[in-house]
Amino acid sequence: MTGKRSHDDDANTETRRGLLRAAAGATVAGAASTAGCLAVSTPASVSAQYEVSGNVAHFVGPGWLADNRDDVVVLDARGAEQFRRERIYGARHVPFDAIAARESTDGGAVPDADAIAAAFGEIGVAPDDDVLVYGASVGSRVTRVAFALAAVGHEGAVNVLNGGVSGWNGRLGTGSRDRVAATDYDPDPAPSTWVDREWLAERVGTFNGDGPGLVDTRVPEAYLAAAGSDALNDDHDRHGHLPGAVDVHWVGNVSGRRMTDPGRLVRLYEVEAELDRDETVVVYGDDNVDPTSTWLTLKAIGFEDVRLYDGGFGEWANVDGDRGRYPVETATNVVVETEGSVGGGDGGGDFSCTG
Amino acid sequence: MTGGDDAPTRAGQGDAPSPADRVLAVPCEGDDLLALFALETGERLGEIPVGSHPVHATTCRGRTVVATMGERSITAVGPSGEVTRVETGVLGPSHFATANGELYVSCSAGDALAVVDPEALTLVDRVAVGAEPHELAVAPGADRLYAGSRREGVVDVVDTETRERIGAIDAGPDARVQGVALSPDGGRGYAVDQRGARVVAFDPGGDVAGDAASAAPVRGEAAVGADPYDLVATADRVFVPGRGDGVVHEFDRNLEPIAVREGFSRPVDVLEVAGERWVLDAGAPRLRSLDGAVVETPAPGLVATPAGEGRVAVSHYDDDSVSLVDVESGPVWTADSPAYPFGSVVV
Repeated sequence: MTGKRSHDDDANTETRRGLLRAAAGATVAGAASTAGCLAVSTPASVSAQYEVSGNVAHFVGPGWLADNRDDVVVLDARGAEQFRRERIYGARHVPFDAIAARESTDGGAVPDADAIAAAFGEIGVAPDDDVLVYGASVGSRVTRVAFALAAVGHEGAVNVLNGGVSGWNGRLGTGSRDRVAATDYDPDPAPSTWVDREWLAERVGTFNGDGPGLVDTRVPEAYLAAAGSDALNDDHDRHGHLPGAVDVHWVGNVSGRRMTDPGRLVRLYEVEAELDRDETVVVYGDDNVDPTSTWLTLKAIGFEDVRLYDGGFGEWANVDGDRGRYPVETATNVVVETEGSVGGGDGGGDFSCTG
Repeated sequence: MTGGDDAPTRAGQGDAPSPADRVLAVPCEGDDLLALFALETGERLGEIPVGSHPVHATTCRGRTVVATMGERSITAVGPSGEVTRVETGVLGPSHFATANGELYVSCSAGDALAVVDPEALTLVDRVAVGAEPHELAVAPGADRLYAGSRREGVVDVVDTETRERIGAIDAGPDARVQGVALSPDGGRGYAVDQRGARVVAFDPGGDVAGDAASAAPVRGEAAVGADPYDLVATADRVFVPGRGDGVVHEFDRNLEPIAVREGFSRPVDVLEVAGERWVLDAGAPRLRSLDGAVVETPAPGLVATPAGEGRVAVSHYDDDSVSLVDVESGPVWTADSPAYPFGSVVV
């Protein structure tokens, strides 16, 4: 298809929910009730299941977006093909690789604030815009966009859409992106949102003890360095985890297309992982995308100071030079099982002196 | 390693003198305590909390230093009982070795050796080695240290002057290196591969430069009894207990077979006491010499420490007791201990 489809022409906009769009104006409660009687799903009932209630920050439901649609810049974190096929009307497509850019410093890899800001500027985001980010669900691409905005010191509010595009029952768009005027996004880097390798090296031995909380967000097999596991990254010289890290696989933050029940998340992180919401908590993964799910989730449930190790385990495991300063642990592990995890495994080596 | 720089040494290095006021310090893994006993009488003198899972102890600069495997630190106990924690940063301190006046500690849950200043009781460095380092051995000149990696199947070689890993000896495919020892003259090194039930001999001065582990220094290998763990190297012999088979293999220094000693239940160590080699058996309440002499003990022993004058202190891990055993006359005393007594040291 080469022709540009008009996003102003609803009648010609192909969407898989076009038939249901007429119901969009119904109240959530009424639609849900009707759906129950007829045993069918309506856009409103689908939307209703993604509403967010209680004391949860950063995650909003479709109803919130409907109420604030004209006041926020909507960013689509999905791939380009998905964006072209169907999107929230007026959404702008995030150049994802650019907003995950890193720069090297003496202390290790950190977010490349200039590159990230430039990427947001290209899609017309201004530092004081209120932003709503969505994806197919509330996975890590979405949360990486939220993190990237925080990293460049975004002044406007940043929220993500619970349920992703599937929960949206409002106007949809398709085809090529709309033209938007670029902005000159001047970053105000916020290093309080991340840590680097040296920051961590200085605190080895203190994590989840006297020092900061530290969460490994990878699958347990990677954390455990389970011999023979497909989860081990062949590009890494070493396997295991940073000393003292507790493993909570990030997929536990997501239940289908929405965030896991907040009460469950509080139990997961405060009770089972024993993290202190009043202390600094660092999250890391293999890369700098997946752990942002935990970064945003912890902030959403009230953790005050959550930071991302942007270099990730990949940087730590492959660091050049004095690796004694950057040790990894393999035995004696703390794996907090999540619904999305693949289990604790037992390949991490025994921990005994009796053989 | 159970001895220290001013402690009785272990098998192959002879008995120690025995002043009457000596104390047997026993890390008790189950209760996180260092239990103290009068060596001569067995009188229980007290306990000192030392941290999670204490397993081995050594003496250094007048202090007793305890490896607490459940911590990211070791614990030093001074002559007056004062306790100092020394951070290692990495979990699982298990074994000690002294080289160039510094205390090396294998951090068996990670991939590092912690280097501790025993006077200042501070961490001065960490040396990256293969994952899950376990036993340590030091060359007679103390210029090189050897650490066995349980996960990577290598013996890492560390330059103790620069505190850098200068290479590694490949102990074979899928090896799980537990015990590491050098002959007293430093001319030959040995590594026990628990998984493969093998012992490997290597040239301690061999060229190991490079990032990848090298098999070039390996000089030979031999099969041993199942589930070997530790070994003892003397001037002309190598002894490897095979815990699973109840045998002790005896080799010459080139791993040519000398004998296979049978009839043990679960042999775990070979100690030199009163000029003879005695086998400690974790499955039977006795010490048995390689010549066939037997001395009954109150219970099976997992770890034993020569205490001088033909005596050995035995930790009865599964029976929560310790004893002092004379290889001529049998038990001198037996005392209850906190749970799971492990590698003791005479202070």
